[in-house]
Amino acid sequence: MVIQICVGSSCYIKGSPEIVELLTQAIQEHHLENEIKIVGSFCIGQCNRYGVTVQVDDEIHTGITRENFQEFLKDKVLAVIKNEGK
Amino acid sequence: MNDLCADIGWKSINHYGEQLCGDHVDIVEQSDNSTVIVLADGLGSGVKASILSTLTSKIISTMMAAGLPIEECVSTIATTLPVCSVRGVAYSTFTIIHLINNEIAEIIQYDNPQVIILRDNKNYDYPKTEMNIDGKKIYKSVIRLQQDDIFIAMSDGCPHAGIGMEHNFGWKREDIIEFMETISLSGLTAKNLSTVLVDECDRLYGQKPGDDATACIVKIRKREPMNILFGPPSNRDDAERMMSLFFSKEGKHIICGGTTSSIAAKYLGRPLEATLNFEKSDVPPIAKIEGVDLVTEGVITVNKVLEYARDYLAENEMYEHWNYKRDGASLICRLLFEEATDINFYVGRAINPAHQNPDLPITFSIKMNLVEELSKCLKHMGKRIKVSYF
Repeated sequence: MVIQICVGSSCYIKGSPEIVELLTQAIQEHHLENEIKIVGSFCIGQCNRYGVTVQVDDEIHTGITRENFQEFLKDKVLAVIKNEGK
Repeated sequence: MNDLCADIGWKSINHYGEQLCGDHVDIVEQSDNSTVIVLADGLGSGVKASILSTLTSKIISTMMAAGLPIEECVSTIATTLPVCSVRGVAYSTFTIIHLINNEIAEIIQYDNPQVIILRDNKNYDYPKTEMNIDGKKIYKSVIRLQQDDIFIAMSDGCPHAGIGMEHNFGWKREDIIEFMETISLSGLTAKNLSTVLVDECDRLYGQKPGDDATACIVKIRKREPMNILFGPPSNRDDAERMMSLFFSKEGKHIICGGTTSSIAAKYLGRPLEATLNFEKSDVPPIAKIEGVDLVTEGVITVNKVLEYARDYLAENEMYEHWNYKRDGASLICRLLFEEATDINFYVGRAINPAHQNPDLPITFSIKMNLVEELSKCLKHMGKRIKVSYF
């Protein structure tokens, strides 16, 4: 799985460094180093009023913040990996 | 016309306890490739010296730039300068470096320490002709410029550094030459070279200079063009034209902006890879496109560059931030401030929908202002700037 985190101007201001940090931590906690690759990306073209844009494989999620990060991780990352594993 | 240009920088320190400097440097651009640089040292120190040297350098530089012969400049000064009530003379020594078409340098010296020329990092002894103008002994030399020539003009405060303290007879010319031969190998800019020389004088004086000391350095270097692309064009159809103009130019290529770099990546048919290296810095990470020297984020990065540029022109205190860091803004600073001599801006006027957000500290006018302010700063650094809008 490839997760692209937007580091363009708009997302950067809304906290992409923080999301990168949270995601890196989560990957370590769940021992997913072999399953997930994190990459940066410039503007994906989905700029939002709040939060950061994150693309998981081909699916784009907008508005990811520190507050809703755990939810995003559970539903959009861990669940998808579990499904793929089946 | 050749591909040489002059990097000019100077620094002064004042006589201990004085508010004003009795030395004055004046630089007048006569045309694109010709410049008159005058370093004048007024008699004594303080206000009187400051007035004498300011008048002398202003009069000479203005007259020389207007193409008048040196004889006339000298006699004008002799008749205009106010006479010192204590000493009964009107006196200010001067050194003139007249760069003509960036091909030859005409050096005219009156009573200042002899200009030191370093060629290939070694002292270069040049011929001098003695002239007598109104009873003043004036030396004139004409030198054909070569790349990496370094001219060092000083006021006598430099060789007098350390008299009776560190060096009993001052800092000898040979020793200054040896010092500068070593320093010049480091590739510093003229501004930084003169800072190093004058700081050394200050040290020899024990931080209490017994005279005003000034060093003015001219470094002859090759022109180094640089191109910077900032923002997508207002009309999408212009993208192709903008890219082909940008990439056809000689020199290094810098791209600022997310959308801009994806357009460039598409044009080049190469992938755009953003890094996630935040490196304890307050600007977003850089990216990579094969064939482009530097790819950065847009407004936030350029805003930081502008902040550094303003500081470089004033106190030069943030130099230690940008002289080694690997973040986008620092990398741009090193390329633009130190390496480039001619900078072409390719600015797109597209309005980014992401920026049309009242919560964001970015607006379209800020973006256009950034370019204007930055090019102003770069001009002050002596760079030639061309801005094209799309």
